[in-house]
Amino acid sequence: MGTYVLKRIITIVPIFLLATLLTFGMINLSPVDPAEAYFTAAHIQATDEMLEEKRHEFGLDQPLLIQYVNALIKICQFDFGISYVTNKPVWEEITSRLPATIQLTIGSLLIAILVSIPIGFLAGLKKNSAIDHFSRFLSFIGASIPSFWLGYLFIFFFSVKLDLFPVVGTGTWKHLILPSVTLAFPLIALYTRLLRASVLENLQESYVLFARTRGIHEKIIMGKHVLRIAISPMISGLGMNLGNLMTGAIIVEAVFSWPGFGRYFIEAIFNRDVPVIQGYVLLAAGIFLTSNLIVDLIQMYIDPRISRKGRQYQ
Amino acid sequence: MSDRVYKKRFILISAIILILSITLIGCSSESVENSDSTSKSSNMITFAWPRDIGEMNPHIYNPSQLFAQSMVYESLVSYQEGGELKPHLAESWEISEDGKEYVFKLRQNVKFSDGTSFNAEIVKKNFDTILKNVDLHSWLGFIPKIAQTEVIDEYTFKLTLTEPYYPTIQELAVVRPVRFLGEAGFPQDGDTSKGIAEPVGTGPWVLDEYKVDEYAIFKRNENYWGELPSVESIKVKVIPDAETRVLAFEKGELDLVYGEGVISIDSFKQLESTGSYGTSISEPVATRQLVMNTNKEQLADIRVRQALHYGFNKQAMVDGVTSGLEEKADYILPTNMPYTSNVDAATVEYNVEKANQLLDDAGWKLPKGKNVREKDGKPLEIELMYNSAESIQKTMAETLQSEWAGLGVKLNIAGVELTTQVERFKANEFDMNFYSNFGAPYDPHTFVNMMAIEGFGFREAISSYPNKEELMNQIAEVQQTTDETERQQLYTSILGSLQEQAAIVPISYIKKIAIYQKDVSNFTFPANRDEHPFSGISVKK
Repeated sequence: MGTYVLKRIITIVPIFLLATLLTFGMINLSPVDPAEAYFTAAHIQATDEMLEEKRHEFGLDQPLLIQYVNALIKICQFDFGISYVTNKPVWEEITSRLPATIQLTIGSLLIAILVSIPIGFLAGLKKNSAIDHFSRFLSFIGASIPSFWLGYLFIFFFSVKLDLFPVVGTGTWKHLILPSVTLAFPLIALYTRLLRASVLENLQESYVLFARTRGIHEKIIMGKHVLRIAISPMISGLGMNLGNLMTGAIIVEAVFSWPGFGRYFIEAIFNRDVPVIQGYVLLAAGIFLTSNLIVDLIQMYIDPRISRKGRQYQ
Repeated sequence: MSDRVYKKRFILISAIILILSITLIGCSSESVENSDSTSKSSNMITFAWPRDIGEMNPHIYNPSQLFAQSMVYESLVSYQEGGELKPHLAESWEISEDGKEYVFKLRQNVKFSDGTSFNAEIVKKNFDTILKNVDLHSWLGFIPKIAQTEVIDEYTFKLTLTEPYYPTIQELAVVRPVRFLGEAGFPQDGDTSKGIAEPVGTGPWVLDEYKVDEYAIFKRNENYWGELPSVESIKVKVIPDAETRVLAFEKGELDLVYGEGVISIDSFKQLESTGSYGTSISEPVATRQLVMNTNKEQLADIRVRQALHYGFNKQAMVDGVTSGLEEKADYILPTNMPYTSNVDAATVEYNVEKANQLLDDAGWKLPKGKNVREKDGKPLEIELMYNSAESIQKTMAETLQSEWAGLGVKLNIAGVELTTQVERFKANEFDMNFYSNFGAPYDPHTFVNMMAIEGFGFREAISSYPNKEELMNQIAEVQQTTDETERQQLYTSILGSLQEQAAIVPISYIKKIAIYQKDVSNFTFPANRDEHPFSGISVKK
């Protein structure tokens, strides 16, 4: 297990390097000049001298390779540079907004888990029952409604019409519910279907038959054995989606005026705030890698057969 | 597997969920107390803005928002209705015969919000820190021309220019960078371009509470030298999404929505039609223009440019696309700006017959069986560039495409990002482009100046005007005039011939909108496009 974790951690290095190279390359492929974008954002008609001065300040007058190497050296020292627009360290800008995004992510993850496990499990057990039809309906809706529209609908009904929740702001549970549910909705759709399919598949397995012949109570077979194994694909899905949730919160953050870093990132893209874009991509890469690692570990723990199988081939 | 192991795992998973929930509570409980308790304070106006107010630094551009800077910091001169320049922090001023020396008598009873007094010393200190970054501010014409700043006595300040430049007084009314920070706001090294110590200004509002990306609360400056605002505080909520602003307003979480393009035209019309809110539309703040590149072969001929102007129903397009929130424009600058009221140019009325005639005369004939005109085998094909994020530009581009198709002109429309639009315009890489002038307090001098300076796009775009030389001379001359009548004559002539040559087609006058709850009264639009709209506003709750 120790060597496995170490191996996984070592593979992070080349992935990070690739991420920096890709971002750097893509930013430089875009024809927009960050200096020009700076003044456009400020509603100023920039003269050539002003643009040159800004390019020099941003270090954009140096050859591309040197720019990239400089950025890389700084990143190795955990220095993500200074935002072009706000003139503050990128790391500070990201970390100050990260708690809000994490809060939203955890909120929606909890909602997704708490809703999809019972529905998906029951839908699998009782195929073609009312709950199964309901789960199908939920999945259709969840998979086909874009989250910005869902967000507006929620605000319209629950905030404006029913006056149950505030439209914007942060601070209380009430503020968190609508954005979390919006963000969780597509996940609920996905996990319900995933768990249902997995449960149906497991019911055909021979261990269920053996357990039944051993006279074990149906509730125990389902609750203790089937659920635990059937939940496995859902957990790997969770791992992949944790990264998606944090980075996918962008739209929900914009709709609900949530002060997270996704919203900040969007602005950075339009302003060609290169250090911020780079910092964000690296952070996102880090989140994806770690969440996948954690999920793999949890999965090994829940279903030890996975690691045992791994060991057989070593 | 034994029950014990199972139980242990169950406990572990429950523990993870518990920890996650606690993190959630931890994250959310920090600011519970400021949730909604403050937003319903009796004498407060809650207002939405798409972006965070930014650093409250009077001398920088990004990410500070103009309206917020104007709440805290003030200028020597203020720009009022119709372009009238009124004394503000300066009580009066005198300009020397040669137009180079400006002596300002400062108002004596003005205090900064920290109690220190406003005097010539602090005015000089602010000017000097701005001049340290003269390149950054060189877009504002008078700044690179400043030769000297002097303190004559405690309340007299003198500005000397290297050459006469009449718009100096008008440019002193802009929101940034020539506004005044108190002594306590200066950082150790005195250079404000990298940040300020604290936002100390003389303005009617003081920043009281601020949470980045969420909200800012400004409270009334009780020691304000001018008329004290009747509202005690202004809360600015940062709401980036236009539809969310509308929903928050409908719910009553906002008292006021104000600005240009802050909510969609449909939403404005829908809210207005309910009759439950107050609405206002401002005087024109700028002109939406169509700029044709006279360097392009097809557009070099004035008859083609005129034909295109005659060939679309401007009234119908403006009314249709903007639902009356903008007004059809006959002149390239709004006529409520200084020196723009009597431009000598014929207005153009929709006339398809004339448009066809002009195109025929210019040699662009419609071949039999084809629907695009040709000349020497080349089709009359033009590209119009628009900002893809602006729905008005997009819809207008589509309208023009179909209108001009009727004339036998093939218009290709290209949506680009705003910065690309600016870059391509400046690099002269376009056939046609949408543009709008800066508006009050920058025009008309900034607009005509852009015709004369290389690199802004206009000079290159109008380079095949036959009277180009004369125009350039007039533009150089008008800035240096000290005689009011002569200046007016020059502007009349410059703006007239710019328009007659038909490379800049006025489309519509852009206006600001405001929508407010019924308990808000005395809302007025600021004459200066960048200023805050809270002067005189009041609320009954």
